[in-house]
Amino acid sequence: MLASVDKLTAVQYRPIHDLEDSAQAAAEMKQLTKQSVARKRSVAEDWELMTLIAQQDEAALGELYDRYSRLVFSLAYGVVGERDSAEEIALDVFTRVWEKAYTYRSDRAKVRTWLTRMTRNRAIDHLRRESVRPSKDSIGWAEIHPEPASANIGPEAAAAQAMEKERVRAAVASLSEGQREVLELAYFGGYSHSQIASKLDLPLGTVKGRVRMAMQNLRHELQDE
Amino acid sequence: MTEAEHEAVIELMPAYALGSLDEDEAGLVARHLASCAVCQVELKEYEAVADALPLAVAVMDPPPALKDRLMAQIDTSPLAERPAADEGVQQLSWWTTTANTLREWFGVSAWRPVLAGGLVLIIVALTLGNILQYQESRPSIPAWRRAILTGSELAPEARGIIYISPDGKNGTIVVDGLPDLEPDQQYQLWLILDGQRDSGAVFSVNADGYRGLEIEAPIPLRDYSAFGVTIEPAGGSPGPTGQRVLGFNL
Repeated sequence: MLASVDKLTAVQYRPIHDLEDSAQAAAEMKQLTKQSVARKRSVAEDWELMTLIAQQDEAALGELYDRYSRLVFSLAYGVVGERDSAEEIALDVFTRVWEKAYTYRSDRAKVRTWLTRMTRNRAIDHLRRESVRPSKDSIGWAEIHPEPASANIGPEAAAAQAMEKERVRAAVASLSEGQREVLELAYFGGYSHSQIASKLDLPLGTVKGRVRMAMQNLRHELQDE
Repeated sequence: MTEAEHEAVIELMPAYALGSLDEDEAGLVARHLASCAVCQVELKEYEAVADALPLAVAVMDPPPALKDRLMAQIDTSPLAERPAADEGVQQLSWWTTTANTLREWFGVSAWRPVLAGGLVLIIVALTLGNILQYQESRPSIPAWRRAILTGSELAPEARGIIYISPDGKNGTIVVDGLPDLEPDQQYQLWLILDGQRDSGAVFSVNADGYRGLEIEAPIPLRDYSAFGVTIEPAGGSPGPTGQRVLGFNL
């Protein structure tokens, strides 16, 4: 990396006095351009991975797993509250990606959204099927400052991902405790308003109001500036 | 659509995007959404909020062995429903190999007049052999598949069958024993994949509660993991709003 930087600096700033220098500079620039293109190509977009997975490319599935397994596993754990079940749900989700990648339509949802919706649905189905609810009262919300990216997604994508996480986490942190509580039960527990009211022993109207305010506040906080 | 209904639905939209509304309110929102562009935009906004929530969950690393389990699993359970393109490739390869071999053996110009007739006989024999071999080893003809739908508490006598074509793309639903409906109601078939519901058919039944009709699916029918039939306003709804009368879940 350091050698490349030095070479680039030399090519950019050294005066070109004669034909030999000029040809040398052109060759070096061409080489650097090639390397840059190769580097960019080495980081495939998510939808490109999905296209490859639909063609049964195992390496592409591995790459997608590296990018999203932490998110999928963490979300599954957030819903079911138990590692073994979260592992089975994550395995099920990625197996389904392998089998159904050709049904993915990029005009409907981002790959991340497709994965998280599938994970949440599967995890809530698991809860309802097993009729067992996590013993813990609250899911673990993340610290505002995001952890390092889990896979090679390129520096720009990693920076954008970190900023998005930070915004979402700050927005959730800005909610009142009561709003966060009903939001958790609705989104991660799959409970309806009346079930939440019964569980928390609150009037139905209070639950409705808190859910609405929580979502409105999040929307306001997450709106593009 | 009244202004009061619109205002009420706007209030319910955040919870609708979260999926936390009780059945009656969810039905009201779904019906309203079918004809209100403003609320459709509003829903997209709140769905984006709900879709962002997983980013706020405390991050945990999955067990290191999970990736190996995944890779082992996909290796041992290859897709059975993929088009069998390999067969064509294999036969082409067999034929090309044979032709190349024959060309190598008999390509010397001095042998051509002598072996031309023999070559024709060999090709005929090999072709016949190949046909016989193909007939012995040809894959079994893909079968129709069916999903049996069972009646809910509301219609315990009802039953239904969905027949899915061998290529998995198309299908037909046949129902029997469904109760009479009010004139402003119809049955609606829902095709369910990962919690998303696509409408597959809107229909009425005869005096016996019987009806058979073709399913209109936006993606191949084999890709859905569950089916359901609900009672909806005549003409159908964008999402299920009424009570379920039939269901099937893989």
